[in-house]
Amino acid sequence: MLKIEGLSKSFGGVAATNDVSLHFPKGSLTAVIGPNGAGKTTFFNLITGAFKPDRGRILLDGDDIAGLSPPEIVRRGIGRAFQIARIFPTLTVRQAVLGAVHAHRNQHRILAKRFPMPGSGDRAEQVIALAGLTAKADTLSRNLSHGDQKLLDIALALVLEPHVLLLDEPTAGMGPEERWAMIDTVHRMWEQERMTLIFIEHDMSIVFKIAQSVRVLSYGRVLAEGTPDEIRRHPEVIKAYLGDEFEASHA
Amino acid sequence: MDLSALASCLITPSCVITQTTSGLIIGLLLFLVAAGVSLIFGVLKVVNFAHGAFYMLGAYFAYTAYQLSGNYLIAVLAGGIGVALFGLVFERLLISRVYGSPVLMQLLVCYGAILILDDLVKIIWGADFLSFGMPSAFQQLPFVFAGGVVPVFYLFLIVVALAIAGLLGLLISKTRYGKIVRAAAVNPSMVSALGINTGVVYASVFVLGGFLAGLAGGLAAPVRSLTAGMGTSIIIESFIVTVIGGMGSVAGALVGSILIGLVRSFGTIGFPLFTEGLMFVLMAVVLVLKPSGLFGKGGA
Amino acid sequence: MTRSSLLRDSLIAIAVFAVLALLPFIVPGKGFTDFMVRLAAFGIFATSLNLLVGYAGMESFGHGLFFGLGCYSFGLIMQTFPVSIPVAFLATVGLSIVVGTVVGAICVRLNEIYFAFVTLAFQMLLHSLIIAWTPITGGDQGLTGGIPRPPFLGIRLDDYYHLYLFSTGLLVASLLAMYHIVQSPFGYTLRMIRDNAARAPFLGINVFRVRLMAYVIAGAFGAIGGMIMSLFVSGAFPDFAYWTISGEAIFMIMLGGITVFLGPMVGAVMLLLLNDFVTKMTTHYGLVLGLVILLFALGLRKGLMDFAADLWRDRQTPTSGPRPDTAAKTAASAPARAGE
Ligand SMILES: Nc1ncnc2c1ncn2[C@@H]1O[C@H](COP(=O)(O)OP(=O)(O)OP(=O)(O)O)[C@@H](O)[C@H]1O
Ligand SMILES: [Mg+2]
Repeated sequence: MLKIEGLSKSFGGVAATNDVSLHFPKGSLTAVIGPNGAGKTTFFNLITGAFKPDRGRILLDGDDIAGLSPPEIVRRGIGRAFQIARIFPTLTVRQAVLGAVHAHRNQHRILAKRFPMPGSGDRAEQVIALAGLTAKADTLSRNLSHGDQKLLDIALALVLEPHVLLLDEPTAGMGPEERWAMIDTVHRMWEQERMTLIFIEHDMSIVFKIAQSVRVLSYGRVLAEGTPDEIRRHPEVIKAYLGDEFEASHA
Repeated sequence: MDLSALASCLITPSCVITQTTSGLIIGLLLFLVAAGVSLIFGVLKVVNFAHGAFYMLGAYFAYTAYQLSGNYLIAVLAGGIGVALFGLVFERLLISRVYGSPVLMQLLVCYGAILILDDLVKIIWGADFLSFGMPSAFQQLPFVFAGGVVPVFYLFLIVVALAIAGLLGLLISKTRYGKIVRAAAVNPSMVSALGINTGVVYASVFVLGGFLAGLAGGLAAPVRSLTAGMGTSIIIESFIVTVIGGMGSVAGALVGSILIGLVRSFGTIGFPLFTEGLMFVLMAVVLVLKPSGLFGKGGA
Repeated sequence: MTRSSLLRDSLIAIAVFAVLALLPFIVPGKGFTDFMVRLAAFGIFATSLNLLVGYAGMESFGHGLFFGLGCYSFGLIMQTFPVSIPVAFLATVGLSIVVGTVVGAICVRLNEIYFAFVTLAFQMLLHSLIIAWTPITGGDQGLTGGIPRPPFLGIRLDDYYHLYLFSTGLLVASLLAMYHIVQSPFGYTLRMIRDNAARAPFLGINVFRVRLMAYVIAGAFGAIGGMIMSLFVSGAFPDFAYWTISGEAIFMIMLGGITVFLGPMVGAVMLLLLNDFVTKMTTHYGLVLGLVILLFALGLRKGLMDFAADLWRDRQTPTSGPRPDTAAKTAASAPARAGE
């Protein structure tokens, strides 16, 4: 369970995250939406320790993790993938995933044994399969297509067996077909691994199709929260954000 | 280590004055080199490790010009202008090919260049130490302040170097050229989008840096012995200055340089064996306390 | 996925050492053994630098700190204390680990350019200490008076064949150890940090710690190179701690290649041969070496083994998907492949 209380962060004069309090129940599938620059990525950066919050608490199963470093937060079970895929260009898919497995098992500083350690291969293959990358396991990451790089980025996070998985626009930069394939994969991952999954998404048809509930950010604040249906009808949301886009996507 | 000597110097006005002037001279000459390194890095994102060799060339150019003309002013200008031109060739021929390359590649190219330049200097001017000699205009009785002896030439150096530092500050902060340079440091694509040829800006910064280093070499020539390889210590000090002052900051380079100069001049009294080491300690302290340098933003 | 095992690599290493041990009987003369001892020193030194540059993406310009440290510390310990060579050896490695930890703790947090500067600065600090501390280090004259070489385990290092065996043995063992390290989980963590240091923390990797470890390990091997050098020259010189020694190591790895484990060894062979050749031909060593460096750096832009590796990779049929960056070269080498 992830509970955010009064989280704030400013850059210079910009309040990128402004007194945000949100609750994500265990095992839930939640979409975070909001216009460009609403502070969605910043919100993820705060949860994962990339930025230190100015104020507020981030409670993971009751423990405040605000202010911890990214590796510490990862070890407590929060994984993330990035808006622009962050991968390891010169490693193959398998090597990268194996590397993540070693890191997860705290075997990444072992000097005296060969890579990969016995027993890491199975987990790696499992995650690669879950991400649908089995056929490309020996491809260098930099030679993957854009969509596969996003999948690899997610796979790396999955290796960590996160209790909470944060996906920043998993479908960014993809064509319509690719998007749905990605969303299917994400949904399958969520069902199989049973983690709390929070994803940022701009495409409303995707959001309304798979999210159990939705949180709307605007100018760093929580504008609304509720089920997709409630959000669809929420006057503030329609006014501030959905109005144009919702109609446009149904035009 | 001789802390009592240092303490007794610090309470003796004459000693303080002597050491402060020599520290200022070390620092200000260093500044002229370090400012170039810092500017070039700020704008071109290239580490000109050969900048110490530029300083050396400035001194040798000045030496030859002085031999020919007997005029110290001409000699210093020959150092500055000669190295500025040399910098242009250097930038076009070598440095422009390693824009965007890893630092080590840039350092390697400069390393090659330094080896060549040091050897060329030996071939042209000989392997022995050369001494420039004090220009006759400065062969006068030194000033005496509170018992501290300050040669006329030292005062001249301080005044000239400060004037150059001031002009450089004005150039960067007040002129259109300075605006372009500062913009190019932050956002080169913006500058080229405005129709300004970034290649020309880059080359001009290199020329400016070369000019300053050449001037420094010419100014320093009467008080230093000239030898191939004389650029090494000043380039390493320049690196320390940029680390202390903050990369790309001219004000930081000035403060850092003067600090280093004072540390060196007072260090010779308190820590005669460890003068050099003091600079490194100073750098380490700054790095630990403020990794981006006193005036810098990047860094850690 | 790893094709090699420690056992297999150790067997290869033993075989290589056996061949090396016999070589002086085939290529007689002190010239050859001298060359190989220097190669051992510089080969270990350059390969250890490449642990940082090639594998960890840490572009140190001050790796000579450890070469000089190894040289002086070993020489001083042997001159000062009545200890055996292995003890002095281990003490020096220990000292380099301590120095590496302190210096590394300051340096490895810094970004690329500052890291290069500050590592260099620390190396020059050692150099200035050596120059200034004349009563102990001999100042700019270097550490003279010879290094005592009490025999140990039947090895008498005042015999040049024994020194040859000792040095090449250390070379082979160090290369084996370093190869093992780059093939370990730690080695792959280094590659991940090199590739994307911003991603690694979100996989639970403490980048600072891993980098510090890499810095310390590389430093310890660098010091081993320095110790061999100190035995070779029977002393130590300030030049071994001067920035040019780092420059030479950088040139070696750039010359030989940073993407292949043995690239730095190839570079070391090339630079040492070039060295000997040029010093024999002309007194203008710097001029010639500088020109060669510029030719390489600006002409090839890549080490020799990097070239070979690319060539070899292109000749493999690209089964694992497109390789946009090498596609053109693959096409170019297609006729050659057809002829195989
Ligand atoms: N590191 C930073 N430094 C300064 N400002 C930042 C930083 N990160 C984010 N911001 C600012 O915070 C605000 C929110 O940015 P953020 O990236 O969180 O938005 P977002 O909702 O993810 O937008 P998008 O949908 O475009 O990805 C923006 O005004 C942005 O410029
Ligand atoms: Mg975003």
